[in-house]
Amino acid sequence: MKILKLPKEKLDLFASVVQQFGELHAPVEQDGKYVFKRLTRWSDARLEYDRTILPPKKYFLPPQESIFRYRPGEGFVPVTDGLDQRIILFGVHACDVYAMNILDRVFAGKYRDPYYQARRKNIAIIGIDCLPDKNCFCRSMRADFVDHGFDLFFYDTGDYYQALVGTALGDDMVQATGSVFEPMDAAEIDDYKRRSLNKRRAFQLDVEIRDLPEIFEMEYESELWDELGDKCLSCGSCSMVCPTCYCYDVSDDVELGSRAGDRTRSWDSCLFYDHALVGSGENFRGPRASRIKFRFYHKQRGFVAEYGRPSCVGCGRCSNACPVGIDVVQVIDRLRRVEDVASR
Amino acid sequence: MSKPTVGIFGLTGCAGDQLVILNCEDRLLDLVALVDIRDFLMASSDNQTECALDIALVEGAVLTKKDADALRAIRKRAKLLVALGSCAVWGGIPAMDRGMDRGPMLEEVYGDAGAGYDSQAAQALHEVVTVDLNITGCPIEKEHFISAIASLLNGDAPLYPKYPVCTECRMRENNCLLIERGLPCCGPITVAGCNARCPELRVPCIGCRGPIGDANPASLLAVMEEKGYNREEIVNRLRMFAPQGAPQ
Ligand code: SF4
Ligand code: SF4
Ligand code: SF4
Ligand code: SF4
Repeated sequence: MKILKLPKEKLDLFASVVQQFGELHAPVEQDGKYVFKRLTRWSDARLEYDRTILPPKKYFLPPQESIFRYRPGEGFVPVTDGLDQRIILFGVHACDVYAMNILDRVFAGKYRDPYYQARRKNIAIIGIDCLPDKNCFCRSMRADFVDHGFDLFFYDTGDYYQALVGTALGDDMVQATGSVFEPMDAAEIDDYKRRSLNKRRAFQLDVEIRDLPEIFEMEYESELWDELGDKCLSCGSCSMVCPTCYCYDVSDDVELGSRAGDRTRSWDSCLFYDHALVGSGENFRGPRASRIKFRFYHKQRGFVAEYGRPSCVGCGRCSNACPVGIDVVQVIDRLRRVEDVASR
Repeated sequence: MSKPTVGIFGLTGCAGDQLVILNCEDRLLDLVALVDIRDFLMASSDNQTECALDIALVEGAVLTKKDADALRAIRKRAKLLVALGSCAVWGGIPAMDRGMDRGPMLEEVYGDAGAGYDSQAAQALHEVVTVDLNITGCPIEKEHFISAIASLLNGDAPLYPKYPVCTECRMRENNCLLIERGLPCCGPITVAGCNARCPELRVPCIGCRGPIGDANPASLLAVMEEKGYNREEIVNRLRMFAPQGAPQ
């Protein structure tokens, strides 16, 4: 992989040049939190943000989208508006890039989703490295570093950025900026290593994921699930904000006075009462405890069986967004804790 | 084929839901081209008050014996009965006083005459007759009314969100008023459909659409108590639009 350096004072120039590749979106502040948004001015970008309320997932799998129109005589006509729009997401953290790589396996693997794939093709990602806060555990989830899934990835080393070039498009962006990107010299290699070490030391949370699926398996009947079930509000917030929750629901909106309409898909959540409700009236996960349990099992165990790793990337969003304070790290800690069975 | 016949009625309520129907201005002509509105006192003085109806839409709660009789008569005339708005679906604001002694309240408001009034604790429509479809909201959403008619004309029931306001609020990427500002937001137990109208404007949800099907008010109450709110105040808030919304 090509690694270059960009002097900090040249970032503005880079940002203005890069707009020829698409509409520029970056984290901007919203009442003390951050959201990815189209920039009206480059100075609105906040590259030192902690985490956005919604992950970049919203660009690739929007909360709600029309997928096709249906009309008697015409059949089904896919809605393709906006799919070819070129966007540049500037400032995506490693865990969120990792999450996109996970979503790729779901939407661009065995079952191909043309809407997702079109957007993934047309939306460029410029990543930026970050330092963990008290809710980040991406390192434990092996998602604190990415080697693919982005076009460029920036490391802030103080005076300049080190830029990993991930794709040909990333390289084009570098070329288009002329000579502002420079090769790295030997002394600067240490800057990278130092930064990498500092980042590793900054993590306040640590969870062990080796043999976690096995522990989940053993703790299937743990009373913890009922406790969480009593607390959980089924509000769905944790799924909405999760960069790897990909469940969606599909519904038809018929037009007044015709048999034509629109088919829409919208984000869904396994915490909702009707997520596992089927036509016969049977609900495979009726009690709330079984739904919250399912969320953890799918992330930390089911996904491992299917794709070889947990789908959780440790971004910390769900713990931040839960009104009743259900915290994934605490849940895992609690499951791993050795408890004297006699005293339970 | 003749057009389906429709009646729109109000029991005890503010008429807000009927107003929403009348406010569907650009859709009203489409609507009357598709259905035959026979009985709609709020919009017409020329009504057929006895005819059979394919669809009856009823707003308001049952607060009097007269309301109950009127509702039973509508039920007899109608193939499908649709409850319109939070009062009809849940009992709504008028059901706030359920469980209180009615006599003294009537006296306080109407004086000596109160004792003779036809007045009873508010009931939702389903507590008096069989209801086929609920369209909740205070008032209902225009789109929900239109989609109900569109679906019913196709022989289907419309689909409304069953998840809570939080889900819509998060989809809109709002800052959370409950978590970040400690405001007593009822979004986690209130059924969505308003597109999180209030939190979007930085105003906590007061639950006007009524609770979700499997609401967990006890857990929300515990969170609000932790944030320093008074239990009674929160219970009252949770039951403001639906007695079912508060912990037992
Ligand atoms: S489960 Fe929670 S911490 Fe893990 S990726 Fe999803 S939101 Fe982030
Ligand atoms: S955010 Fe918390 S309360 Fe809401 S559904 Fe998730 S775990 Fe339950
Ligand atoms: S502001 Fe209210 S509705 Fe929005 S997420 Fe927070 S609790 Fe839910
Ligand atoms: S946010 Fe709550 S109070 Fe506001 S309209 Fe929606 S349900 Fe009603």
